[in-house]
Amino acid sequence: MSKSENREKTSNELVFGSDNPNAIEVKDLVKIYTGKKVIEEVRAIDGISFSISKGELFGLLGPNGAGKTTTINILCGLLNQTKGDAFVGGYNVKKDLSKIKELIGVCPQQASVYQYLNAKENIELFGNLHLVKKEVINERMERFLDLLGLTKASNRAAKKYSGGMLRQLNLIMALISDPPILFLDEPTVGMDARVRRKTWEFINSLKQTNKTVVLTTHYIEEAEALCDRVAIIDFGKLVAIGPPKELIEKHNAKNLEEVFLQITGRRIMEGI
Amino acid sequence: MKRQRIFAFVKIQFKSLIKVPTALFIVLLLPVALIMIFGFAFGGVYVENYGWTSQSGYLFEFMVPGFIALSGMFMAIPVALTFSEDREQGLLKRINTTPTSAAEFMGSHVISNMSMAIIQVAIIFILTFLMRGMRFITPVGIILSFVIMIIFSLSTIGFGLITATIAKSAKAAGGIVWIFLLPQQLLAANLYPLPPETQIVTMFMPLHYAADALTLLFYGVDLTNLRIWWDLIILIVFSLVLIIAGILLFRKYGKV
Repeated sequence: MSKSENREKTSNELVFGSDNPNAIEVKDLVKIYTGKKVIEEVRAIDGISFSISKGELFGLLGPNGAGKTTTINILCGLLNQTKGDAFVGGYNVKKDLSKIKELIGVCPQQASVYQYLNAKENIELFGNLHLVKKEVINERMERFLDLLGLTKASNRAAKKYSGGMLRQLNLIMALISDPPILFLDEPTVGMDARVRRKTWEFINSLKQTNKTVVLTTHYIEEAEALCDRVAIIDFGKLVAIGPPKELIEKHNAKNLEEVFLQITGRRIMEGI
Repeated sequence: MKRQRIFAFVKIQFKSLIKVPTALFIVLLLPVALIMIFGFAFGGVYVENYGWTSQSGYLFEFMVPGFIALSGMFMAIPVALTFSEDREQGLLKRINTTPTSAAEFMGSHVISNMSMAIIQVAIIFILTFLMRGMRFITPVGIILSFVIMIIFSLSTIGFGLITATIAKSAKAAGGIVWIFLLPQQLLAANLYPLPPETQIVTMFMPLHYAADALTLLFYGVDLTNLRIWWDLIILIVFSLVLIIAGILLFRKYGKV
């Protein structure tokens, strides 16, 4: 067996497509939903552009239907954009999707787990899909389960888990391949305050591993506490972007929630 | 195609067989129950000059091939339910964000379902042997029966995938799958004599060719009989068409 085959597969070994300091770049992205079942053309994303640096924890905020999940789905290759370009890890989402899939971990909005399998079996499956070695899967799995307090329940079928536990398992499944780029689509929704705090700490600890994290959330305080920068999307348009502190100062607000309400609330009232 | 991914999927498919009561019931318990009930009911009914070979024997012996083919047909139900449930749970989308290729995903499902078919047939064969339902079949005939059932399992996976494509939910899939199963069960399983006119309809049913070939083998008909091989060829064509159609339709319209 060669040395390279013997090495543990870590995020450091997954190769980015370019030396660009940005892990993600989105340029004039447009997504229009059309089709037989769509009565009226829906512009889910309307020409948004932003970039995310390597190792940055980036928050995508916006009201329901603003276009957050659509953006993430395009970046993960689940949806095709109508116009514009998107690059993940230096690779174009339209041309190099297979390379992108090796670099990313996705924690979807819906807790997507095999209900009849236990936590360990679910995690092991996703480790295997990323071709992670068995001993590495086991080591990471034990660590993550312990960090999120799921060890005791790890041999129980997922169908017997509470909503919060399913969310935590959902998150671990996205992390088992140690991806350098992580998409977390509302990872803490439905969690009680205690479990949410624990999960925040866990997400915060990912910063030390130099991962690029894209986080969508409805909990504005979550974004304020965790994110290096946030982007607020409304009606498919990017309406604000920057570090939470900077946005708070700029809008002369008490916190990020107030900024969010100022921006998105005004647009709703003005009927834009 | 990476072995690690394929084995991982095959492993969870087998776990579903053990852990999901519906799958266990349909794939193993139902065929076993059918064989036992009919074995005890008709195992003692002796008939003379039965069927087109005019053989004499216990009625159960003449029903066994139909039951075996029918059991293989039931495999369409867990396939349809699994794919529909996985789609509902968002698992297919999630798997789509990993480096797993469509060939690896579909290939592993075909492998696991074919393996289950082998286990199913093996259990049924052992049970049938114990209940004295395999007096005429030769050892080569037994091997050929296995091959027929493995090929037939491809067509049932195809039916399962087509069902999952059409159905909007797992509940709907559980109903829709019977559109494919019921006519074949009633008309093509060779469980009882039917008027020759039904042959026009059964010509389009893969179960007919599987059941017909198995019936010939279980009657102990010589392997030089061309009808066995003709059945096998048509079954191969049917199975390939159905599995390819199932995979393509599910990938295109299955809303993965």
